[in-house]
Amino acid sequence: MNKRKLYPWYFAGAAAFLFFLLCFVPGILGIAYSFTDWNNFSKEINFVGLANYKAVFQGNSEYLKYIGNTILFTVVTTIMKTLFGLALALLLTQNFIRFKNFHRMIIFSPQVMSYLVAGLVFRSMLHPTTGFLNNFLRSLGLNGLAKNWLTDLTMVFPTVMTVDTWKGMGYIMVVVIAGLLSVSPEYYEAASMDGASFFQKFWSITLPLLKPVLVNITVLNVTYGLRVFDMIYSLTNGGPGNATGVINTAVYKEFSKGNLAMGTTLSSVLFFVVLALLYFIIKSMEHKEVEV
Amino acid sequence: MKKKVKQIVSLTLAAGLAVGMIAGCGTKEGSSGANGKKNVTLTFGSHQSGLPTSGIVQDLAKDFEDETGIQIDFQISPDAQWRDLIKVKLDSGEAPDIICVDTPIGLASSLHMDQYSVELTEQPWVNRIEKTTLAAVSVKDKVYGITFPGAKMYFYLYNKDIFDKLGLSVPTTYSEFKTVCQKIKEAGYTPIYEATTNGWHQVLPLFETGGLWLNQDPNMYDKLNDNKIDLDGIPALLTIIKQLDECAKAGYFGDDYLSNAWENAKEAMATERCAMTIAELGFRGQIEKEYPDFKATEKLRAFVMPWGDNHVIGVNPASNAYFINKDSKYSEEAKQFFDFLARPENLKKRLIGQPELSALCWPEITSKYTKEDQAFLDSLKKANVVQTSVNYIDSQWMDVGKDLEAMYTGALTPEEVLKTLKDRRTEQAKLQKDPGWVK
Repeated sequence: MNKRKLYPWYFAGAAAFLFFLLCFVPGILGIAYSFTDWNNFSKEINFVGLANYKAVFQGNSEYLKYIGNTILFTVVTTIMKTLFGLALALLLTQNFIRFKNFHRMIIFSPQVMSYLVAGLVFRSMLHPTTGFLNNFLRSLGLNGLAKNWLTDLTMVFPTVMTVDTWKGMGYIMVVVIAGLLSVSPEYYEAASMDGASFFQKFWSITLPLLKPVLVNITVLNVTYGLRVFDMIYSLTNGGPGNATGVINTAVYKEFSKGNLAMGTTLSSVLFFVVLALLYFIIKSMEHKEVEV
Repeated sequence: MKKKVKQIVSLTLAAGLAVGMIAGCGTKEGSSGANGKKNVTLTFGSHQSGLPTSGIVQDLAKDFEDETGIQIDFQISPDAQWRDLIKVKLDSGEAPDIICVDTPIGLASSLHMDQYSVELTEQPWVNRIEKTTLAAVSVKDKVYGITFPGAKMYFYLYNKDIFDKLGLSVPTTYSEFKTVCQKIKEAGYTPIYEATTNGWHQVLPLFETGGLWLNQDPNMYDKLNDNKIDLDGIPALLTIIKQLDECAKAGYFGDDYLSNAWENAKEAMATERCAMTIAELGFRGQIEKEYPDFKATEKLRAFVMPWGDNHVIGVNPASNAYFINKDSKYSEEAKQFFDFLARPENLKKRLIGQPELSALCWPEITSKYTKEDQAFLDSLKKANVVQTSVNYIDSQWMDVGKDLEAMYTGALTPEEVLKTLKDRRTEQAKLQKDPGWVK
C-alpha cells in the first residue's frame, strides 16, 4: 500500500467536528432533556429523574397504545412490503412478461409521490359515500364490501397499513430486482439440468443469494415503520379518536401542547427501540450469509 | 482537447453556482422600484377558517399591493393542524410575518401571542374596535392584534320547508329535538349535518351552551379558573356528551359524519339533503352566494341549541385576529397593511365581500342583519361561551374533537370523554404552574 496516497486523519476532522456538533450533541441533549420537566411555559428546567418514563410505561397510559400501534405497524408493513416487493420482483424479471420496464416504472411511481399527497388522495378515494373505492364496489354490486375504511375502528389500521404498503412496495421491488439481476444465471441453468422446479430454485438459489439484500430491506423497512409519521398524519391524523396514533404523532402532539420533555421522552424511547432492534437484526443476519 | 472542454464546462458551472448562491443570499429588501414602491413580500400564515372562503382578504391584499408595492404571500394550513403547526413554527423561529390565530389570547391556555408579536397599542385604529372584542386581542391592557368579525353565535339552522312539510315545530328541549330528528330521519332526510374531520365543529354543543353552566352557578367560570370546581361538577356537560352519543348512534348525524368535511356543509344544506346544522346566521349568506337557486336567507331559520335543554345563546366575542411576528424584518410594512385594512372603506368592503359575516366588531360599520334577524337576536337570552372564559378549554378544542370521534366509534364512553377532558385540563394547568393547581 502506498502510504503517501492516504489522507491524514485530520482531513476528516472538520467533518467529524460538524457531525459531533450538529448530530451527536443534539441527540444526547434530547435524551438528557427527557429526564427534566422542560416545557413551553416556564423558563426553569428541573431534573425529575425517570418521572417521564414512568408516565409512559405506567399502568394503562395511552402512550403504551401508541407504542403498540407503532410496533404493529412496523411488523405488518415490513412483512407485506417484503412479500409483495419480492413477488413483484420475481414476476417482473421473468422472460414471458412484456414491457417489463414499463410495469416496473408504474409500480415504482408511488414512491416518488409525497406522503402528504398520497394520504390526501387516498382520503378522498376512501370516503364512504363519495369515494372512488366504494362507488366502484357498489357499481359491481358488491355493496357488502363497501366499508367505512377510515372511520371504522376495525378497518382503519389495516387500511392505513395497506396504503403504506402500496406506496412502499415499489421501492423494495426495485432493490430486489437489482439483487436478482446480480445472481449469475449459471446457477439456474445447472439447477434446471438437475431437474429443479421453480420453487426449488427459488428456495435453494434465489433466497440464499438474496439474503444480504433482504437484510438491507428489512433494516430500511423497520426503521421507516418505527418512525412513521406523514402517512398516518395525512390519512387519519391519528383518528378516529386516537385509534391510529403512533409514537411520532404523539411526539408531535406533546410538542404542540408545550410538553417538550414528554416529547423528547417518547423520541428517546423510540431511539432506544430502533437501536436495539437494528443491532439484533444485523447480528442475526450477518452470520447466515452463504459463501458463494 | 477533451480536457479543455471539461475545464470550461466545470468553470461555467462553478461560476453559475457562485452567482446563484450570491443571488440566493440577497434579500428582497432595498430594491425600490423607480416609482418609490417597496419591493417587499410579507408572508401571511393562517388556518383555512381564518381567511374567508370568498377571498376578500386576498382581494384587499391585492389593492394594498397596487398602492404600496408590498406583496402579501398567503400560506394557508388545514384547521385541524394550524394550532400545533404555528406553535412549532413560533418556537423554532420560522413563523410568517403576519399570523392569523384564534382569540382570545389572554387566557392562560391560549397561544401566548403577547410573547411572539409586536405590540400595537399605539396604533391609530385601536380605539375604533369594540371594547369587549379588543380585550380578546389584548394582554394586560396591551393590544397585540387586529380583528374584524363581530361576536359569533352558533345556532341550529333548519330548513323551514322541510319542517313545514313534516308539520314540525322548533324544538326547545332535548326530547323535542330528538322527536324532530326521528321524524326527519323517517322522512328520508339526514336530520343533522355533522362533520368531524375538521376537528372543531362537533365540539360546539359542549361549550357554546355555557348558559347552562352559569345557570347552575353565576360564578361558575371563576370557580373553574380557580380550580374550586372541576368539570365533573357540571352535570350539564356530561349530559350533553351523552346526548351527542345517543344522537350519533340513532343515526341523526347520517352515515358519513365521521368522513365529512365542514366545507361540504353548504352543499348538504342547499341540496336539502340535510335538514339542520350548527352554524352562524351569516352562513346562510355564504350558502346563497354559492347556491343562488337555494334562497338560504329565506329558507333557513335558526333556533338555540337545545342540548341539555339549553335556552341561552352562547356569545363568543372572540374570533380570529392578525398578529405581527416580533422577529419579522418587515414589521413596519405589516403595520402599514393593518392601517390599510382599518380604513373605513376597506372595512365596508370586507363586510360586503364576506357573505358569512353579519357584523364587524367596528361599531362605525353598520351590520348586515335584517330587521327580522335583529329582532330574533334581541329576543334571546345571552351568555358568554365557555372557551373564551374558562382556561384550558380552547387549547384542547381539537383534542376534544378527537375524543368525541373516539366516542362515536365506540372506543370511549361519554364518562371517559369527560375524564380525558378533565385530565388534559389538569395536565395543562400543572405544566403552566397555575396557582389554582400548583400550591
